[in-house]
Amino acid sequence: MAKDMTLLWGTGSPPCWRVMIALEEKSLQGYNQKLLSFEKMEHKSQEVLDINPRGQLPTFKHGDNVLNESYAACFYLESQFKSQGTKLIPDGPAEQALMYQRMFEGLTFYEKLNVVIYYTFNWFVPEGERHESALKRNKEALVTELKLWESYLQKLGSGSYLAGPSFTLADVVVFPTVGTLFRFGLSPERYPKLGEYYNLLKERPSVKASWPPHWLENPKRLDTLKDI
Amino acid sequence: MAKDMTLWWGSGSPPCWRVMIALEEKKLQGYNQKLLSFEKGEHKSKEVMDVNPRGQLPAFKCGDKIINESYGACFFLECEYMSQGTKLIPVNSSEKALVLQRTFEGNTLHQKMADVFMYNRRVPENERQESAFKRLKETLTGEVQMWEGHLQKTPGGFLAGKSFSMADVIVYPSVALLFRMGLSEKRYPKLSEYHKNLKDRPSIKATWPPLWKDTPGQDFLKDI
Repeated sequence: MAKDMTLLWGTGSPPCWRVMIALEEKSLQGYNQKLLSFEKMEHKSQEVLDINPRGQLPTFKHGDNVLNESYAACFYLESQFKSQGTKLIPDGPAEQALMYQRMFEGLTFYEKLNVVIYYTFNWFVPEGERHESALKRNKEALVTELKLWESYLQKLGSGSYLAGPSFTLADVVVFPTVGTLFRFGLSPERYPKLGEYYNLLKERPSVKASWPPHWLENPKRLDTLKDI
Repeated sequence: MAKDMTLWWGSGSPPCWRVMIALEEKKLQGYNQKLLSFEKGEHKSKEVMDVNPRGQLPAFKCGDKIINESYGACFFLECEYMSQGTKLIPVNSSEKALVLQRTFEGNTLHQKMADVFMYNRRVPENERQESAFKRLKETLTGEVQMWEGHLQKTPGGFLAGKSFSMADVIVYPSVALLFRMGLSEKRYPKLSEYHKNLKDRPSIKATWPPLWKDTPGQDFLKDI
């Protein structure tokens, strides 16, 4: 039951967003939640460490079951609440296989975005180790990755989700990355298929309900990625 | 059916090894397979690129379905062949939760290992720095210590308790690679015990990296 669940999360964090979308899709509204601040280092607080020794968000409990890895939480929720809410893993083997393939490519996609963002904002990279050439290289890698996802969506046609005609776990885990890309200024003119996908998903109730609050407070997009 | 499956793989690569262990555990021996050489750049060959545009191994086809991501392939095989072979994801919710948690933490371990082992391959010469490499090694050390801690706290012999699970399919190859690269058995007794105990498991024995059998490992990690 949602009342036995607790999510500790941070705004704008794709891994946290994934779990929140999954909870909404499985009709588990009403879970206990606490918004924490990365800036104030609240992800390293004792409250978090008691559940997640890695001091990371999301941190998620269902009763005594701890699932801090966002993909683990999403799989768990689909499995435990299979009979309620949206069916997130399709029955057809072909669609299922594509869902699994895209879900896990989603990890690579997210990492490539992260490297660029961290580098741009000087997070996690000590000053003496920053190289202009590295930022350039990482941006090029992200562009290659973006073109791949554009091609995936192109092949499936307009209005499609990542694994075909239905919304699946692939969309749960990958949309937050796409949402973040556009927040940081990705050009929908240069990436029209991703733009279309973004527009389709941003209207979905589960996505709207879990939209990062600080993006609502400051709706102006950044321009970090506008030229890539 | 195994006859409709094809796996392109490289010796010693944990992602490839994961899929091979899963295939064995799900009683899918007899799949078509091709061993390729990373050193000769065969992972970038047309044959692989036709299946995996990322030019990476494993590349895996199941009939006309393509699942190159090792986690994806393992989950797909467990789902499709749920009723045969070893049950890799338990039904009980607490056991399932721990299996899933460890399975996905396995990605963090793999990434931190790759950051260190692939440093020279990934980072152009002019960007390489002793301080950066040192930091990555320290991060890996912390991660390995965490896994030692996980095993200390989880009795039963396997990563998620007393049964072999998806967590072991995914993470054992990384643990084996750590020891192959010289990880100290004395400093990490639980990991060492885990490494040794699972060596004789049929699925692991059957898929042990061929290039490891006749050559010594390295001592790269002996001091961490």
